Amino acid sequence: MRRILAVFAALGIAGAAVLVALVAWPLDRGPATDETLVGDPARGAYLARASGCIGCHTDFANGGQPLAGGPPIKTGFGTFRAPNITTDKEHGIGDWSLGDFATAVRRGISPDGRPYYPAFPYEFYTKLSDLDVSDLYAAFQTVAPVARPASPQDIAFPFSFRPGLKLWRDWHFRPGRFAPDPSRGAEWNRGAFLVGGPGHCAACHTPRNLLGGLVTSEAYAGSRDLPGGDRSPPITPEALAESGWDEDAIVIGLRMGVTPEGDALGGTMGEVVRDSTSFLTDDDLNAIAVYLLNRGAEK
Amino acid sequence: MRLYITVFFAGAILAGAAAYTSVFAHSGATGIVGERINHMKMLGDAVKQLTAMFAGQAPYDAGKVRDLASVVKDHGGATMTALFPEGSTEPPSEAKPEIWSDWQTFEALAEQLETFGAGLAAAAGNPRGGMPGGAGMLGQQGGMMGGSTMSQGMMGQGMMGTGGSSGVMPQHSAEALGQMPPDMVFGMITQTCSSCHTRFRAEKN
Repeated sequence: MRRILAVFAALGIAGAAVLVALVAWPLDRGPATDETLVGDPARGAYLARASGCIGCHTDFANGGQPLAGGPPIKTGFGTFRAPNITTDKEHGIGDWSLGDFATAVRRGISPDGRPYYPAFPYEFYTKLSDLDVSDLYAAFQTVAPVARPASPQDIAFPFSFRPGLKLWRDWHFRPGRFAPDPSRGAEWNRGAFLVGGPGHCAACHTPRNLLGGLVTSEAYAGSRDLPGGDRSPPITPEALAESGWDEDAIVIGLRMGVTPEGDALGGTMGEVVRDSTSFLTDDDLNAIAVYLLNRGAEK
Repeated sequence: MRLYITVFFAGAILAGAAAYTSVFAHSGATGIVGERINHMKMLGDAVKQLTAMFAGQAPYDAGKVRDLASVVKDHGGATMTALFPEGSTEPPSEAKPEIWSDWQTFEALAEQLETFGAGLAAAAGNPRGGMPGGAGMLGQQGGMMGGSTMSQGMMGQGMMGTGGSSGVMPQHSAEALGQMPPDMVFGMITQTCSSCHTRFRAEKN
């Protein structure tokens, strides 16, 4: 009997030690961003469109103000709501420094040191350059403040234990700026940046494992498990070629939301076109198409 | 023994029926669901041909645009909504139940499609230019949404519904639409298709 009690006590102490370790495990805020760069709000506004900020952080369906907080996103881990990122000092990000902003967007760490849930796709935004975040920061300074408090996240236990995210980060988060492939042309690399960085296409078009991490070996193979129960199609070079999505079709699709068959993109992709890709230049849409169709192919 | 045989055959028949319906997802659909799948196919055909002309892949032919726009018009409005009787969600239907819980929006979008189809027919011969949505009009110099001066353009673009709520745009008469560049009106048509699909069609691929 004494032995059993001793075993349980040991397990309890070990468990507590793990929890304490998780809480104490420091988060790496990464190198400081270059604060000497002057951000351009027009470039930042364009980048914000490419990054999909407006789409997630605005509750259009309920007449929400721009960037004042998004609608609920139901996932297997709970219901997420993108917070208020207007310049409101109390409810938004009005009192954030450039450094705060850069760390939040590229490292997924809040100014008070808490890790964000990867529902915020910082694992993609990590590719943004220092100039990119300066531009974005400058653009966000122009957003009208809205005093709408952030709705609380509704995450199921045990995912609600935020320090647990540090494990997720250790397993799945690979911080790092975008590095062009020198063996590829400028257009391909621009597409690679847009797709793998701000566009974060893989967030929906790559399957995820049970912990919500991307299954990188099946990159762009589509997902059966999107929020709300929808599915996303594969967008590998083979899948695109098979269903008639050549370069022109991709550009038209992303600009106008029309498929090669004359169908209209629905589900979340319709919103992606409406709020994000329809704002991109022809050059950028072409670059995305070139990258998607030639990803991995030897030149 | 008899019971087992019966259950086995019953199971086999049911499994076969299930496989049959799922394999023949779109073709083989019967009744009202089959009708509306064909209805959508015809709309898609028209949009496909219109897209080719507006994207510069085929020579622009105002007469053809007029004809195709009339097809769009004829497939909108009450013709569309009549294909969605309450509860007609049997497979292979991709219609979401929100159609009936939010019938007002669904109906408004169908009517919008009809109006815009008529509008494009009227506008087909106008001088070309100006795709709506982000591209073309303000996409290049658009400021942050919600930004004060920079966003004036974007918010003023409200009639196009930059990130519109349900996608239901303010009422335009077919005559007013008939004054616009045809590209603009076509963009409004594709946005209507997309708005409806985003809200009311399940994406099961």
